[in-house]
Amino acid sequence: MATNQDTDIRSTSNTAEGLRSEEMLLNMGPQHPSTHGVLRLILTLEGETITSCTPVIGYLHRGIEKILENRPVMGGIRYMDNSDYLSPMLNETAYVGAVEQLMGLEVPRRAQYIRLLTNELQRIASHLVGIGTYGMDLGAFTPILWAFRDREGILELFEALGGSRFNVNYMRVGGVLHDFPKGWLSECSTFLDRFEKNMIEMDQLLSGNEIFTSRTQGVGYIDPQQALAYGLTGPMLRGSGVNWDLRVNRPYMAYREIPVNVQVRQEGDCYARYMVRMMEITESIRLCREAIDKLPGGAISTRTPIALRPPRGETYFALESSKGELGVYFISDGSEYPWRAKLRGPSFVNLQIVPELMRGHKMSDAIAILGSTDIVLGEVDR
Amino acid sequence: MSNFVLADFGSYIVNLGSQLGHGIISWQFLQFLVAFLTAFGFVMTSAVILILMERKVMAWMQDRVGPVHTGPWGLLQTVADVGKLLLKEDIHVRAGDKSLFLLAPSVFMAPVIGSFAVLAFSPYIQLPGGALATGLIFYVAMGSIDVVGLIMSGWGSNNKYSLIGGLRGTAQMISYELPLVLSFVGVIMLTSILAGEPGFPHYGTGAANGVGTISVYEIMLFQNAAWHHTGIGVLDFLFQGFTPWSWFFLFQPLMLVIYYVCGLAETNRAPFDLPEAESELVAGYATEYSGMRWALFYLGEYGNMTIVSAITAYLFLGGFSGPGVSFLVGQNSLLWGFVGNIMALVYFVLKIYLLCVVFVWIRSTLPRLRADQLMQFCWLILMPITLGNILVTGLLYLVIVQFVHAPIWVFLVVLACVGWASVFGFVWLISRVTTASNRRAQAPAIRAQLRARSATTPALRDGVPSRVALPAGTHE
Repeated sequence: MATNQDTDIRSTSNTAEGLRSEEMLLNMGPQHPSTHGVLRLILTLEGETITSCTPVIGYLHRGIEKILENRPVMGGIRYMDNSDYLSPMLNETAYVGAVEQLMGLEVPRRAQYIRLLTNELQRIASHLVGIGTYGMDLGAFTPILWAFRDREGILELFEALGGSRFNVNYMRVGGVLHDFPKGWLSECSTFLDRFEKNMIEMDQLLSGNEIFTSRTQGVGYIDPQQALAYGLTGPMLRGSGVNWDLRVNRPYMAYREIPVNVQVRQEGDCYARYMVRMMEITESIRLCREAIDKLPGGAISTRTPIALRPPRGETYFALESSKGELGVYFISDGSEYPWRAKLRGPSFVNLQIVPELMRGHKMSDAIAILGSTDIVLGEVDR
Repeated sequence: MSNFVLADFGSYIVNLGSQLGHGIISWQFLQFLVAFLTAFGFVMTSAVILILMERKVMAWMQDRVGPVHTGPWGLLQTVADVGKLLLKEDIHVRAGDKSLFLLAPSVFMAPVIGSFAVLAFSPYIQLPGGALATGLIFYVAMGSIDVVGLIMSGWGSNNKYSLIGGLRGTAQMISYELPLVLSFVGVIMLTSILAGEPGFPHYGTGAANGVGTISVYEIMLFQNAAWHHTGIGVLDFLFQGFTPWSWFFLFQPLMLVIYYVCGLAETNRAPFDLPEAESELVAGYATEYSGMRWALFYLGEYGNMTIVSAITAYLFLGGFSGPGVSFLVGQNSLLWGFVGNIMALVYFVLKIYLLCVVFVWIRSTLPRLRADQLMQFCWLILMPITLGNILVTGLLYLVIVQFVHAPIWVFLVVLACVGWASVFGFVWLISRVTTASNRRAQAPAIRAQLRARSATTPALRDGVPSRVALPAGTHE
């Protein structure tokens, strides 16, 4: 803090005792062991305390939105998988949902339920990665492997369903690609039963652990008004006490028939966000079971032409992804190629509060805060 | 004159030679040779075995299999690892303190091997250091030298971040040495109390009458002396020199737990592995090392694990004692003595490896402590508890034996009850303290929420306030 009496203008600050301390620049480079992707954080430290943090993004930019402009709609669905690469099914649903909303197309009921089922399974898979990597960031080596073991079950189901574990390319404008293979639903039920038991184990391992709670409680507090001002959505918002879930507040597809119990926590710290994700997994298990029970018969798709030409116009369709509000703003000029398909990536918006949160915390807390935001760089950079 | 000197010198040499020959070809030298080879071989191979054991056991706990390709069931994995490390390029830092940098791994590893000098592996296999009357102090001193190796590597790496990591590790190791040593004091007090009883060592033996001991081997003897020769063959075979009901873990269980936790911190293992895992943000102390130098750090960590487990086994779990050892060795026959020694070795190694499995178990379960939480745990919780334990043990002895004149076994039973109750009390205390400090950390959040709630809540539509607040810091 230089006053006009100071002749020495450097990037130093004068403490109360008249000592001079310099700020240290620390670069958490694009490559670091916290497995969140290629994010670069430039931290300015004063001793142990972080005074400022500048994220540098763009290391994973692949031009997805531009690619979508050069593909017919059906050809572009597969590129949505790469945006949030941990929840491909949700990304695809957002894209085809936007086109259907523009066309005014109502998807058959069976297809809506199938979409709900796959979306909730995908949400579970994404949260498992988030929770597992969060534990590993803080030094717990076991939860990530248990989480990935359970995720294998989901990925095997997706492989049986759509042919591929990750980028399934399963959603189509008008419905889904094909129906369940024989025995898939019972496999799914068996998996859900097994998984519920494993979740109890993982909960016991991590949630009540005193070391874990000491590292996460009271760290990275987000005020609810601040959260709304920054436009946060998803567990970041619900962890601060704001009851907002697009599946309930702006219901779409089968969520109009199957209600969701929104999981909200009041504390607003990293532990609250972690608990929201854990409870959302349990809620998703319940939704999957209900969808399997109430699955209607009928067609799985309204046939649309391969070279689909949506009518001229623009629309915005948002759904509740595992990270928050995932939206697609779709502008069509009547041809088979979209004029513009803008993705509202929730991780991009959620990342903006990280510099604000990190200020004033110690270095060890920076990892805890970054892990609790559960960002996926594919969605941040697109 | 010169003839006289030459003859004298010659006979001196011959005398020396014959004395040396008598010394080398003697049972004592053979014992030293066997003990040295056993100890050194045990340390080096146990580090190798432990690395593989850790990978396998951690894998099984994580629902995987661990290394399976190298050798049957992956048993040759560490051999392959060490071979690779030996063949790696030895990268030196160009600037910086060369001599410190090069010496640090050895300074880290050597005290670990040296600590084995005070351990007896079996009644026959004892290094001369086993006779050291202050063996426990020797072990603690060796543990302190390890710290110097850490500082040397942090400074010699010429890397700002290595220095910070090394200093943090040093602070951790030095802090946790205090509760570690204080947890021994309870055991030493017990030996002193028992030395006044007939049947135990140091009873009525002149200068050492009624005095306890800080020799590791003798502490083990104190634990296993509670058996009187009955003449019944089977019982004598089983329990001569093996009295698990008087092992010190029954009377000082909290000290066992605290010693083990401090051992975790001394060896920089999870949940105290901040110096190693600082590599998330800041490079650790061993960053600039490659190849065999790094392997020495790594092996030193596992050697440290072994020595902590060994001392735990000696002080609390009866050392190498087991059914049949003392009986067979006391038979004065070569064959049965040999068998007894082998059995003692097996029991000892079994106890050490079981404790090492607990090390691995803890590593795979618990996350990492933050640096300030680590220090708080040591200074605010472990230190008072160990000091309190010394106080309580002494007070109980004073009241029960001196004032009430009850027999010793009453004191021991009361001490055991108090000890086991305090273990559960310790766990309860930790959870209470954690909850309290977490609530204190969350206090600003809770205060902000109360402030927000007490203000007039704007009209809500779908849970979202119809008027969104401006970003923090904006003046309206």
